[in-house]
Amino acid sequence: MVSGAELWVGIAGSLVLWVLSGTVAILLALILAAGSLSPNRPVRLLARASVNLTRGIPTSLFVIAAGVATMHLVSASDLPIVFPGTTAAFQPLAWAIMLALALGSAGHLAEIFRAARAALGSPRLEQAAVMGLSPMRHAVLIARECIAIALPPTGARLIHHLHNTAFAALFPVAELFGAIEGQASTTFRVFHFALLGCAIYAVLSGLTWLLFRLLEAALAPPVAQQARARLPAWS
Amino acid sequence: MVLNLLVGLPGDRPGGLLLSLIYFFASGAAALALGCAYAVLCVAFPRTSLPLQAATALLRGVPLILLVFLFAHVPWFVVGLAGLVALTVYSFGHVSEVLRSFLAAYPTAAAEQARLMGMSSVRDWLQLRMPWTLWRSWTALITHWVSLLKDTGALVILGIGELTTTAKVLSEVAANFEQWATTLVTAACLYLGATLALIQFVPFVAGKLFRILQQGQSTSSKAAERYA
Repeated sequence: MVSGAELWVGIAGSLVLWVLSGTVAILLALILAAGSLSPNRPVRLLARASVNLTRGIPTSLFVIAAGVATMHLVSASDLPIVFPGTTAAFQPLAWAIMLALALGSAGHLAEIFRAARAALGSPRLEQAAVMGLSPMRHAVLIARECIAIALPPTGARLIHHLHNTAFAALFPVAELFGAIEGQASTTFRVFHFALLGCAIYAVLSGLTWLLFRLLEAALAPPVAQQARARLPAWS
Repeated sequence: MVLNLLVGLPGDRPGGLLLSLIYFFASGAAALALGCAYAVLCVAFPRTSLPLQAATALLRGVPLILLVFLFAHVPWFVVGLAGLVALTVYSFGHVSEVLRSFLAAYPTAAAEQARLMGMSSVRDWLQLRMPWTLWRSWTALITHWVSLLKDTGALVILGIGELTTTAKVLSEVAANFEQWATTLVTAACLYLGATLALIQFVPFVAGKLFRILQQGQSTSSKAAERYA
């Protein structure tokens, strides 16, 4: 019997893993990017080393390390139950895998953010520096300017990140690839479910791309928006 | 333990890092060749190739791990071949678009000059456009190859004894926490070493090859030297 509910739970599990780990990855990446631009040399070197480390090690290995470590070391925890379809006993495992996934993308995102800032060019950065803004307002101004440059590669990386959530299937954590694999081996309709999985992932990837295009349009810096508004409709 | 991670578990050799590299080089080279053909096709026939471009875009939306799973169930594919085909298809999805976008940006002036010099279109594509495209897209290709080398870890779901699988097996049978941690840290260092070597080594070899190619072409075509 084919269980559609299992697939929906898998999709929900993947989305929760993706949203949580993506958010943590972006936060970590902002810290690493800020560190790699720090005037303090040890901080800068530490941040650069962390970026290279997370970019050079496969996410699958991070996930395996987190999974095996949690299964060996953690017996009980008070972590909230947020991962749908994963039993309460394996919720700490799901949290650990979520962190491993975040770590796998943090270095890549940090490089994207650093490159976006560098792409502004020194004249614009110097202009922002001499405006006499508070550090927070200066950071917001630079972030606003960088967004248009950083959003497309960030979207591409987060699509890759969505695909990486499939590694959670190596452990008893409910997510889409595990659900597809489970349904395929239960029903022996491997191609049917594999193609269904391809279609679902393609749709989710397409939606992510669309979300980022919308964000790009909405969050583009005011100068770029004005320039766009001045363009004739047929251009 | 280090030997097992480098060349695979006893009775399952070649494995470990060596097998990861074999898969990486084989799939990367096959995808590059297919990507070049795709780029030429799409640039030569931009409208006719739209369905192909759409299919490639869809392909990029599918996780590698699912491709590995899909190909593993093709009846006439052995496990190793399924892994290789999955990696090639995955890499093709990314490399092809990189090459297409760079080839589409080939300068019109260079194309015009080649035409005025009476170069045949085959020579123009092979000796001018493709080397120009490969040279310009090198950075983007290396970024993808670093990702591909790490993504060979997806073969773990087939149990192919590459580095991730070997590390997983060794860590699962580790007697204590220290042994477990040492295994995973060593595997991480091996991946890190391989990716750093790739970042340093490939541009060096490519530069050498390109200079040899330029010298060879300079005797037959001054235009190739100028635009490459």
